[in-house]
This record gives sequence, structure tokens and C-alpha cells, in this order.
Amino acid sequence: MTLIGQPATTSGGRAVERQRPRVGVVKFASCDGCQLTILDLEDELLALTDRFEFTEFAEATSKRSSGPFDILFVEGSISTPEQAVEIVRLRAVTKTLVTIGACATVGGIQALRTAAEHEAFRSAVYPSPAFVDSLAVASPIASHVPVDFELRGCPIDARQLVELLTSVATGRRAQLPDQAVCLECKRRGYECVVVTRGEPCLGPVTQTGCGAICPGMGRGCYGCFGPREGANVDSLAGWYLDGPSGPRAQVDVGRLFAGFTGASSDFRGITDRLGGRPPLPMRPAMAHPPELVEAAPPTWGPQPAGEAGDAHE
Amino acid sequence: MLPSPAGTTVPSLPGPPPDRWRAGTGEDSPRFLPLARLDVLIAELRRERRVVGPVVEDGALRMAEIERAAELPFGWTVSAEPGSVRLTRRESGAPGAERAFDNATAWSGIKPWTFPPRVDALSLERRDDGSVAVRVEAPTPIPTAVIGARACDLAALAAQDRVLTGGPAIDPDYATRRSDLFIVAVECAFATSVCFCTSMGTGPEVSSGADIVLSEIDGGFVARADSLAGRRLLESLALARAAPAQVRRATGQVAATRASMPSSVQADGLPERLLANLDHPRWEAIAERCLACANCTMVCPTCFCTGIEVGSDLDGRESKATRTWDSCFTAGYAQVAGGGSFRPRQRDRYRQWLTHKFGTWWDQFGTSGCVGCGRCIAWCPVGIDVREELSIIAAPPASEQLVAAPTVVGQSLPILSRSIRAGSVRMDYVTVRVAEVRQETADTSTLVLTTNDAALLSARPGQFVMVAMPAFAIPPISISRIRPDGLELTIRAAGPATSTLARLGPGAELGLRGPLGRAWPIEDAFERDVAIIAGGIGLAPLRGLLDQVLAQADRFRSIRVYLGARTPRDRLFVSEIEELTARGVDVRLTVDRAGPEWLGRVGIITELFRGAKPTGANVTAFVCGPERMMTAVVDRLTDLAVPREHIWLTLERRMECGVGLCGHCQLGKRFVCKDGPVFSVSELGEDLRREGL
Repeated sequence: MTLIGQPATTSGGRAVERQRPRVGVVKFASCDGCQLTILDLEDELLALTDRFEFTEFAEATSKRSSGPFDILFVEGSISTPEQAVEIVRLRAVTKTLVTIGACATVGGIQALRTAAEHEAFRSAVYPSPAFVDSLAVASPIASHVPVDFELRGCPIDARQLVELLTSVATGRRAQLPDQAVCLECKRRGYECVVVTRGEPCLGPVTQTGCGAICPGMGRGCYGCFGPREGANVDSLAGWYLDGPSGPRAQVDVGRLFAGFTGASSDFRGITDRLGGRPPLPMRPAMAHPPELVEAAPPTWGPQPAGEAGDAHE
Repeated sequence: MLPSPAGTTVPSLPGPPPDRWRAGTGEDSPRFLPLARLDVLIAELRRERRVVGPVVEDGALRMAEIERAAELPFGWTVSAEPGSVRLTRRESGAPGAERAFDNATAWSGIKPWTFPPRVDALSLERRDDGSVAVRVEAPTPIPTAVIGARACDLAALAAQDRVLTGGPAIDPDYATRRSDLFIVAVECAFATSVCFCTSMGTGPEVSSGADIVLSEIDGGFVARADSLAGRRLLESLALARAAPAQVRRATGQVAATRASMPSSVQADGLPERLLANLDHPRWEAIAERCLACANCTMVCPTCFCTGIEVGSDLDGRESKATRTWDSCFTAGYAQVAGGGSFRPRQRDRYRQWLTHKFGTWWDQFGTSGCVGCGRCIAWCPVGIDVREELSIIAAPPASEQLVAAPTVVGQSLPILSRSIRAGSVRMDYVTVRVAEVRQETADTSTLVLTTNDAALLSARPGQFVMVAMPAFAIPPISISRIRPDGLELTIRAAGPATSTLARLGPGAELGLRGPLGRAWPIEDAFERDVAIIAGGIGLAPLRGLLDQVLAQADRFRSIRVYLGARTPRDRLFVSEIEELTARGVDVRLTVDRAGPEWLGRVGIITELFRGAKPTGANVTAFVCGPERMMTAVVDRLTDLAVPREHIWLTLERRMECGVGLCGHCQLGKRFVCKDGPVFSVSELGEDLRREGL
């Protein structure tokens, strides 16, 4: 691993201005929650900006940069043709690319459409779907360009972000364990919600890193960090169907795995088998009454081709 | 006779003394503690200690700090089955409704109080002048009393005492917490369907390990002291003697609990049966159910595996190493630098856990690793029941199937903690300075370290040291030369820590802990033909041996050196080796691949044996290299009639502690760090080649 940004050194008693690594934070189809998590690092922010130069971070500064970046944090999934082009450009100007959050790492909640009929979704949501230029699938960054590190979660865990930046700054390996949430849950002394209440929890098949927040609040993990290494989803799903807390309807168990990281192949396999996706197609009439659709073109939506703005996310 | 692996002797367990609760008139006779005075007992304990007892929290019993008796789970009962635990409150007036301990073990047990999930282990600092300080964090003693420990909890403590304080190295944090623990135990009046202490010979009667033992009957407790401190406390309460009827009720009650537990594990001969079935098809079947989520190991009161987490500030100048509970079920547990795992499959990991707990624990610590508390069964999210798995994998011979529950009872082990001595293995780090750095190959350097630390200077070839630098993981590195004024370490950049070490410059400082492990048994080669066989970086741990062999060359009949490297550029210590050849030592070298400029041999290392065979019963071979290379060499040497007890290997495994406390480096019954890393092929037996072990 290359060492980026050596520690400040002194020469002849004078501090030498150090070259701070240039860090960018960009987003595609996402809610900005992961970026806000970075801004929530109130105790560390000053030290971080002292050590890293944030040259692009729309949630934090109006200063903009199109690159190059030593480290680029990418939030969001690739959802439109423009985004598919932009991510390739960004990769070319970036040394270390880090995807942040469930959208960037596995597609996020919008990747539900990946297994659905895109056209039906579009016309259900938008009065004039022809104006919306979106891809049929919402895909993770890694399916477009090589990714160096991924920080999972919805949103990411801020301590993991600091750990990653520290590891880059010091040259050591980031401690981002691929163990089950259960280890952290038990280390923290939380009672298991599956065993004590029969409440379904994805902790055993989900990668740790969140600090077992949900079980700590007495509810089941919904897998926002996505499947861990070797996730035995079949065994867990089978237990929730027929174990002591069951029996449950197949569709209910399938839906458990269809959350923020439901597009990951491990989790999707269960939903594909058991069901649990939104019923399709949605009736356009529910979303937009015909009289509204037939009225004048909406003034709030993207304008027809020629006036390219940001595609709707 | 208790289960014991063949060839080891285990003292037969003493049953509880028949007069455990003898009623009488002596000073030691059982007392009666009225329920209303339980608070007085707790208050007395709290004068000097925090008091920990079972409480109901979020639908389960856990051990938590309490201030008064009312916090105890009065009236609660538990039903537990595989993968499910439910607490229910007894109706008032129902039997047990007024009792505090008429339930079962608290899920968290005592372990979090004696062996916390996270403990500060080291703090490391790189100062402005480049010097490095490594400080071992001293535990802060917090005197603690546990009330409501069960017989299985005490057996688990005794087992952890053996692991963490019984060996040459002791865990300082555990030792501190444990030595000041006051235990008020309770004999169980109730067993759940997952309890199997009777099968493991640990309960439900409490026979040793507690300071005070209670048996809860209506209206209060029959109490007896089991230690001097316990007796003093009971005396201070000025309790009346328990009436004979009360004592009878107490003993009858625990006898009924025993009778309520069917024999579920045939513990007699279990280790042998289990270890004879390492290839049983059932392992694959369990792997299909097992989530490898590690819950069983987290709730197990004897599981002791830990890992080291390193955190640092952004500059990497100050860092902290934290010891955390780890589990043999995780992917990283058996991983070594470079990424490979010795237990890649789920079945490998489950097999490791079960065979360790019920089998190899006996070899390592002279006891079972299982105390029959049933937590792993109840708290498995998919309800895997070890009793069922054992009955399939390690089924007793048909004639023994109907044997009733063993009659042996009581904790098998003397409590060691009351007399914890300092371990003979040093746990602190010595700061050493890099005097010189020699670049050996593109990715490998030799650090020449100076020190005047007597222990480090007494290192022997084949031993290793743990190497600490602020901000980095702490890798084990074998010693490649022992000098009068220091050590040499030859390091290949395999991960971030070793890459940084290999890039250090003169003047840098490091923390070293060691020397650790078993050295090459050079004396095994005296008056014999010595073959030193090294592949790649494997030459580093053999270099010091070579030094010593050459220094007393006349003690050996012949000396031959066989070296393999990936390419000519990857050869280590090139000038030293050329010098040896010039001095007439028989050195043969091969590389895996080379360009046309290479005039030497190309091919695998065993082909070197063609020209100069290390043949016959008189050869002693010392071998180090990648494990695949070593097994190929062993095959060839065995073909050439070299006795297996004279073929010595050094093994690489993940090590977090280097002294047999963290669990990671186990290979069957061995800890590679403290029993090895040097082993003879006959010592390793079939385990050398067993996949996923």
C-alpha cells in the first residue's frame, strides 16, 4: 500500500508545509445520509481536515473539484446513463476509491427495481416517464469500476470511516471485520432477540461494523451492512420459517432479506425463492390520477431533452 | 474413570463428600439464612466489593451489578430449548414464587466479569525523537463478589483458571480479576432441558470453588462456608444452625434436580471417539445448518479465544492494542499474513470448536472444555444441539448406549486461582533499536537489532519474537540470527505490518516480546548427518541453526544444505551462502523459474536430493518453507528412509499472543506457538496433512 501524506516533519526548527491527501466525497443515487454521517464526526472533523484536504464534498463546502483525488468516497448507486459515464471518469482521476453505504456497495433500496419491471415502476411513479432517463437496474459501484475499499451500512458507521482514513494515513490495514453482527452483540452483552423473543434478526448473516445497534435497541437486525463472508442464509431462513418462533409465511421471511441490501446475491437468493418483493405492476392510477397526468406537463420535473439537468434520483 | 485421551492420566473425580451438608453442632455446620437477611449478606459483601448477581433484563437472566436482594429474579422461571429461552413469572403462591434462584444459569455467566469482552492490552507511542515505548496495561483490580454462581459456572471458572493462569504464561488481567473474586454459589433446584451438567460431571451439586454455598429452600437458604473468607462472613452474620430437616430438604432438592436430568452425553471415552471421527460425514451436515455466527463461543463460559485490535491516532504515533473476544468460527481466525486461512470451510470451523471443547482440551489442560451448562444449545440462533451432534459423531459403542448418567459428580478441578503465581513467560516488551538494515530481495529485509536484554540474547534458533510498532498489528517474527549484542530478524513484506517493518531504517525502535516457542533441537543431530532444507523465506528461521551447526561442525557426521527460491532474485543471504560454499559446505540450490542468465538448477527442491541424497536412518533433517513444500520434502525424506522422529519442521499459524493464551494457532491438540513452532514429523502425525485442521 502506498503511504499517502507522510506525517508532518520539521526541518531546521521550522514546520514544513505538508502535502495533505486530497479527499473527495461524491454521490450518485442516494439519500446523502452517509455524507451526513461524516459531518456528524464532530470530535474528529478538525483533525481530519487538518490531515486531509477535502477538495470536493457538496454537503460540506461549496468549493468544487473534479479531481484528481487521493481518496474518493463514493455514495450512491449507478442509476442513470450519465452516472455510469461519470463514475468511470472519477475512477480515472482517483488513487483510492472507497464506496460508502448500502447504495454504493450493493445498490441500496432503489435496487429493488433490479428484480422488478423497470417500466412499470417508472410509469407508476412519474406522470411523464418519458422525461426520466434512468437505467433498468440500480447497480453498485463495483459493477462499473474497481473499488479499493467498501464501507457498508445504511448509513455507514462513522468510526469505520475514521478507521479507514487512519489506516490510509498510517499505512496499516484497516480493521473492518467481516464477522457476524452477533460477535459484537454478545461482546456488548445484548440479549439475543431471536432466542428470547423469536424475533427474526439478520445479525448472524450480516457483516458487523454497526456496533449491533438494532439488537441493542431490542429489535432484529435488518441487514443494512449486507451479507458477511460465508453467510449461511438458507439455514437462517429455514429456521425462521419452521423454527420454534414459526411457522411463518414464506413471503414474510423473504421480505426480511429484501431490505437495503436485498440486492446482494446472498440475500436476493432468499427473496427470489420465498417471495416478498413489492407486488407488480403497481397501478399507475394509485400514484397519479389520470386527470393530473393529462394536464399540462409538470413544472417541477426534469425538462425534456436539451435541458439536461441532474437526472432524478 | 473420567474421559481421558489415551496415554494421559486424569485423576478420577472426587464425588461431593457425603457430608457436604452435614448437619451438626460444629462450627462448620450449615447455617440458615432467612430470606429477609439476604440483604444483610449483600450489604456485608458490598462493604468491600461490587456485588454481581442474576437480574432479569430484556427477557433474559444476566449477571449484573446489584445493590439489594430485591433485584434478584424472585419468582422467575426459565424454559430453554435449542435456540429458544423464555422467562416466565411464577404465579404468586405457586411453588418457587418466593424464590430468587429457582431458575437456571444467567446467559452471560461470570465470564464477562473475570474475562471481559474488551480489555486494554498495550499502549504504544512513537515519540518525537523516533523512540518507541510499549507499555503493558496493568489491570485495575476491582474487588468483586458474585452471588448466584451455579456448579457449572464454578467448573467453567476452574477450566479458565487452567487455561489463563495454569500455563507458563498467565493472563495478567484475568489473574487480577480472578484472584479477588468472592463467590456465593447456589445449588440448583431446577434444570432446564438444555442443562447437562450431570453428564459432564460438574453439577448440580457444588463441591468446590465457592466461598459460600447456598441452597434455597422456602423461607431462606441453607448456607455453608467453603473457604476461610466465606466462614468469616457467615460468622459475622451470626446465623443459627440449620435444622436437620432444612438440611435434608436442601440435599433432597438438589438430588431431585440431578434426577431430572437425563444422561445426554456419554462423556466416558468421548475425546477418543470424537477424535477418531474427524472425517465423519456429519461435519458436512452440521455445516449446512451452522451459521458460523459465533454465538456459541461468545456464551460459552470456558471459551477463551481473543484477538488483538489495534487503533491509533491519525498520525500513527499513539496507538492502543485492545484484547477482544474472538471466535474460531470467524474467517480471519486462522488466517495468516498473505491471506490464506487454515480453516476455509464452515465444517472446518465447527469441527475445530467441537473437537477442541470435548476432545483436545483434555490434552492441553487436563480437563474437559465443556461443563454442561447448555448455553451453546439455547443461544444458538438455529438451535444446534451439541448433545445430538456428539451422539452422532462420537456415538458410544452399542453396548454402552444404555449406560445411565455417570455417578461421578462435583467439580473435577482444584481451584488454582487462590494461589496465582507469576508466570514464567515474560509478557512485557523490550525496546530495541535497528542498527542496520540489509535489503535481501525486493520484498525482504534483514533488521539487525541491538539490545542488552539478557532474555532476548539467550534466544535459541527456531524461536520467535512478537514485534510491536505503534499503529500496527503485532506479528510473530522468527529470529534469523542471534548475535552477541542483539538479534536479526528477516522479514518479508506480506501485509501492512511486515511491509512497514521491512522498510524501517537504522535508528528506528521496536518493541520485542520473547524469545518464544520451541527451538530447533540441534542436539538431535549430534553425530548424525544434518540436512538443512529451506524454501524461500523459510531460510530465515534456519539461519541461526546453520550458524550453530557450523560453529561446532565436528559434532556432525556431515552437513548438507538444500535451498529453494522462487527465482534467482528471491534468494536470501546470497553472499553468506556463497561464502559457505567457498568454505566447502555442501550447499545445493534450486529455483522454481529463471531466465537464461541463470546457470543453476531449476525445479522443485526435492529434485536436489537426487544428486546428494539425505538417505537413511542416520539423517536428521531441519525443514522450513511453505507447508506444501514441507509435506513434499517429508514424503521424499520418508521414501529415503529418514526416520520421522528425526525430521523437524517449523509451522506457521496465526498468532495473536505467542504464549498459548489467544487460541488462534491451534493444530489439533497443539498450540503451535508454545508447543512449537518446531515439531518433529512423528509428533505431528496425520495432523500435518489433515485438511482444515
